[in-house]
Amino acid sequence: MIMAKPKPIQEIINVIKGFDKVLLAGCNGCVAVCEAGGLKEVEILASALRMYFANQNQTIQIDEVSLTRQCDKEYLAEIKEMVPNYGAILSIACGAGVQFMAEMYSEKPVFPGVNTNFIGVTLEKGVWSERCAACGECILASTGGICPVARCSKRMLNGPCGGSSNGKCEVSKETDCGWHLIYERLKTLGQLQRFSVPNDPKDWTTSRDGGPRKIIKEVSQA
Amino acid sequence: MDTKKDGPLGSVMVVGGGIAGIQAALDLANTGYYVYMVEKSPAIGGVMSQLDKTFPTNDCAMCIISPKLVELGRHLNVKLLTVSEVEGIEGQAGRFTVTVKQRARYVDMEKCIACGLCAEKCPKKVDNEYNQGMSQRKAIYVKYPQAVPLKYSIDEANCIYLEKGKCRACEKLCPAGAVDFSQKDRTHNIEVGAVILSPGFQTCDAKSLVELYGHNPNVVTSLEFERLLSATGPTQGHLVRPSDHKEPKKIAWLQCVGSRDQHRKGAHSYCSGVCCMYAIKEAMVAKEHCQDPLDTAVFYMDMRTYGKDFEKYYNRARDEQGVRFIRSRVYNVEAVSGSDDLLIQYASEAGEQAENHPEIIVHQEQFDMVVLSVGVETQPETVELAKKLGVKLTEHNFAETGPFTPVSTSRPGIYVCGLFQGPKDIPFSVMEASAAACAAEIDLAPARGTQVKTRSVPPEQEISDQEPRIGVFVCNCGINIASVVDVKAVMAYAATLPNVVYSQEYLFTCSQDTQEKVKQTILEHKLNRVVVAACSPRTHEPLFQETMKDCGLNKYLFEMANIRDQDSWVHQKEPGPATDKAKDLVRMAVARAGLLKPLTEKPLVINQRALVVGGGVAGMNAALGLARQGFEAVIVEREPRLGGMSRHVSQTLEGLDVQEYVDKLTQEVKDAGIEVLVGSRLAGLSGYKGNFLSTVDTGNGTHKEITHGAVVVATGAREYKPREFGYGESDRVLTQLDLDRLIMEHPERVSKWQRVIMIQCVGSRNKDNPNCSKICCQGAVKHALRLKKMNPEIDVIVLFRDMRMYGVLEDHYTLARKEGVLFVRYDEKDQPEVTLGGSGIEIAFNDLVLGRRVSLGADAIVLGAATLAEDNEQLATMLKVPRNAEGFFIEAHAKLRPVDFASEGIYLCGTAHGPKPISESVAQAMAAAARAAAFLSNKEMTVGGVVAQVEPSLCAACLVCVRNCPYGVPRIDPEKGVSEINEALCQGCGTCVSECPAKAIRLGHYQDDQIMIKVDALLEGVV
Repeated sequence: MIMAKPKPIQEIINVIKGFDKVLLAGCNGCVAVCEAGGLKEVEILASALRMYFANQNQTIQIDEVSLTRQCDKEYLAEIKEMVPNYGAILSIACGAGVQFMAEMYSEKPVFPGVNTNFIGVTLEKGVWSERCAACGECILASTGGICPVARCSKRMLNGPCGGSSNGKCEVSKETDCGWHLIYERLKTLGQLQRFSVPNDPKDWTTSRDGGPRKIIKEVSQA
Repeated sequence: MDTKKDGPLGSVMVVGGGIAGIQAALDLANTGYYVYMVEKSPAIGGVMSQLDKTFPTNDCAMCIISPKLVELGRHLNVKLLTVSEVEGIEGQAGRFTVTVKQRARYVDMEKCIACGLCAEKCPKKVDNEYNQGMSQRKAIYVKYPQAVPLKYSIDEANCIYLEKGKCRACEKLCPAGAVDFSQKDRTHNIEVGAVILSPGFQTCDAKSLVELYGHNPNVVTSLEFERLLSATGPTQGHLVRPSDHKEPKKIAWLQCVGSRDQHRKGAHSYCSGVCCMYAIKEAMVAKEHCQDPLDTAVFYMDMRTYGKDFEKYYNRARDEQGVRFIRSRVYNVEAVSGSDDLLIQYASEAGEQAENHPEIIVHQEQFDMVVLSVGVETQPETVELAKKLGVKLTEHNFAETGPFTPVSTSRPGIYVCGLFQGPKDIPFSVMEASAAACAAEIDLAPARGTQVKTRSVPPEQEISDQEPRIGVFVCNCGINIASVVDVKAVMAYAATLPNVVYSQEYLFTCSQDTQEKVKQTILEHKLNRVVVAACSPRTHEPLFQETMKDCGLNKYLFEMANIRDQDSWVHQKEPGPATDKAKDLVRMAVARAGLLKPLTEKPLVINQRALVVGGGVAGMNAALGLARQGFEAVIVEREPRLGGMSRHVSQTLEGLDVQEYVDKLTQEVKDAGIEVLVGSRLAGLSGYKGNFLSTVDTGNGTHKEITHGAVVVATGAREYKPREFGYGESDRVLTQLDLDRLIMEHPERVSKWQRVIMIQCVGSRNKDNPNCSKICCQGAVKHALRLKKMNPEIDVIVLFRDMRMYGVLEDHYTLARKEGVLFVRYDEKDQPEVTLGGSGIEIAFNDLVLGRRVSLGADAIVLGAATLAEDNEQLATMLKVPRNAEGFFIEAHAKLRPVDFASEGIYLCGTAHGPKPISESVAQAMAAAARAAAFLSNKEMTVGGVVAQVEPSLCAACLVCVRNCPYGVPRIDPEKGVSEINEALCQGCGTCVSECPAKAIRLGHYQDDQIMIKVDALLEGVV
């Protein structure tokens, strides 16, 4: 799932302060699950903004809505009638949702209300952690189910490096060394021999290096 | 009255209205028995109502007891007889006639509305016993602000009119005409089927024990100290020392004042069982009360923190809060001349010499205050009561009971609970209270439901298509509100608010006659919402809701504005703004009332069968407690026969034969028609309270399905297999259970032994297992005495850290010392060393009294191995009930719900809850049976009302509700892919509602719009 984190409120204030009417749009998909962009966060953010502007003696009308998903046109279309009434849209969906909103309602400025961080998992209530870097060519089969692209700070394909100490990465004491984890897992699986065959260099064109990506599933095309 | 002349009666008398009596009364009344509660003072609540906080959770005592007081005070099937005492009893079990003398109260309870005007004007001041004499009250008084019944009474001995024939000021001033000097003492002859004694205790007389007490105000008893900490105490909860009202910097607690003392007059040889814990609590709470760092020191002999999670509390006090614990015997407390301070002189354990002063072998330290941790004792009037009732007492003046019949007195049909049974803390008093209720319920089972009253209400009106028609009733509460708030103005203002069609003021809205008027008004004006602007919903909402029901209105169409506690009482000096605030509060309440919706509660039939998981002593007693009341019970036992851990114990500390008892119990289980599935395990459980479906794996791959309404968890515990002291390497290193077996199987080997050394706290009270295992000290003393009996020449040395022979168990400890058993303390950080040689065993340890290392040979080493939780993870997951870090199940509330789980319909007893001896397991099992019976006896339950509801179209199945629910109720429906919250299980706490990121859940009666409109209405007053 895509994980996001609310932007500092001052940053949001700075971009919307010039508008009279703002539509604050949440998304009931990934960002609702990571407690950053669902209807609850919409209500909290809207209240905080109203309070701020009321204290500034400034009247900005902020209306609330939450869509099933902002990455699908059909759901975005649900607010079609509303959008013309607003000077700007503040979306707290992920970066994809914000952009799709902006594409659909290109006549309106659309601002992001969250920072989209990563594809990850819920470790426990309120704690999320990165797991996938969307490189486009999965190598988990050879690394014991632990991704060096996402979990190694250097995205090294053969590790660990000299910066690994007691299972932690030199980047931070809080960060596990991805390759240490891979080593331990492969040991458990009895597959340490994999370390004797280095991984080949990766073709990064399937990742960001190949430019913006697109997937076409022909059988699914209308 | 029961018509069957020979059968038992369906009513019970409970004597004493402290927490134990209250629990027993509520259990009985909720199970279908009519209860007469006899309380000698003007209000129930007992000593617990005087406590500030309670260990080990530091919950406010009043906050947790108050709902129980209110429930009891309002119970349709409890007749409360205050200022009353039992005079005599006739008849026998099943049919007693009890003579109760009720003293004149001189206040008509029907009329008194507790406005307090009488007390304000009463000229006579007397010491307030609720505040331990540290403040004053009037001759006409209520015991404490939250008292139940909240009715004034006149203290005959101090009333000027009753003494001298003049005054009657209260009578003249009472606006309700409630003072009635014509009242006379009355005698009631009450027929009941059983009697439960819960008369409580008093603290030992500190005057006769500590010379300075009573002469120096800075020497206080622990109960006085509780009052000093309490917000309703003489200093309003500001901790100041009595002599100069300055905040103390150093406070000392002296333990065992009046306890564990065979010499002093007024003292007792038993341990009072609670003082160690309350001293720790008071020390910690005192620190919280002080602005500057407060130094606290506890002078003690043995730290007896033996209860569940108590050791962790002790550790926290010492290691995190910096409470000092000084193992010592204090021999003198004296005033420091020229100051208000006190000097404590004490001998430390080793009697070491003071630094630089070899001639002084005592220590001394100065304190600002000294708190005497006074022990508990039976009151003289209780001793008299026992005589009148023909109930035998022990040498310590506690009611005589047996280890296997812990709540039965010597007289059949009369049961006992709480401190009169022996020293104990609140949770065990509550447990015993439920156990005593169970015992009475068994006796009277044929008469269950024969004497109870039921309320009938008209069918509910359909109002959903009606516009709100709100009636507002504003209360003067005598002068309580009216002296500050302009009630007429508030009433007139209410009439101007939207949807309000009627508003009125009453002198006392809660009085019976006003309630009749309110009923007529509701019907006459076709009101469909009611707002009462008066006092607290905590005490009065249920009363007004009953009135709603009587008018055919859903009880959720009611809203209160608290213009007394939250307004007139706190703004007495600002009547103008107080009136404005009252208007704000009324405006908010009216706004919300307009949005209130009726909530329906659906009836569900309760399956009358109970499943008992675990067939040890606890499980069997729980099953018997239910079966003997007529509820079907099924026992699932993992082992091939019943008995559990008790099958490995030959006798109790008192010398009773455990095997004989377990055999008898097993036979009784059979005779009671209880279905027993041995060699079986609970493999699956679905459904919810009232309607469970269990799958039991009965061995050989066969499964049996059982439907039942309740579950009792009695899965027991196990003995730790030590990794220390060479256990397992030699057959001379045994655990206490091993020793028991050896004595039974090969007494000839044991009787040849010359020396046995026992080591305590093996696997307990350490980093891995911070708990005290509670029963190992008793086990060591029991076996030491047995060994001495087998061979008086044998040396028995017990190496201990603290001897935790709590309560009357102290007698056995004393006896063991008399018999020559040597008790030698060791320190946790300096463990004894055991060397296993070819010829024998060597054990070396530091003797802390001698101050040197001692090395001894021994024939056997016996380890007091810890009692550990069974591996219950699977069961806990199935039942969705919590366990603590050590694996013991966690009860719903450590203090007041000791055998319940937070989810209704599931109960807990025995060592699955925590280590405890057989007698306590029996009491707890009976308690669990009583609690389960109270639930099952309803036959039907209502579900719904204030519960969470999921809107499936909004649910993102994010699991936030699943992870956050403290009761483990929500689950993601695998077919629909959205959260599902079972209304029968939901407790209505609202946690999921506030956490749901998609706002897909709402809570009945507390919907966002219903809350937000109150905020909006409040802020209307600002803009």
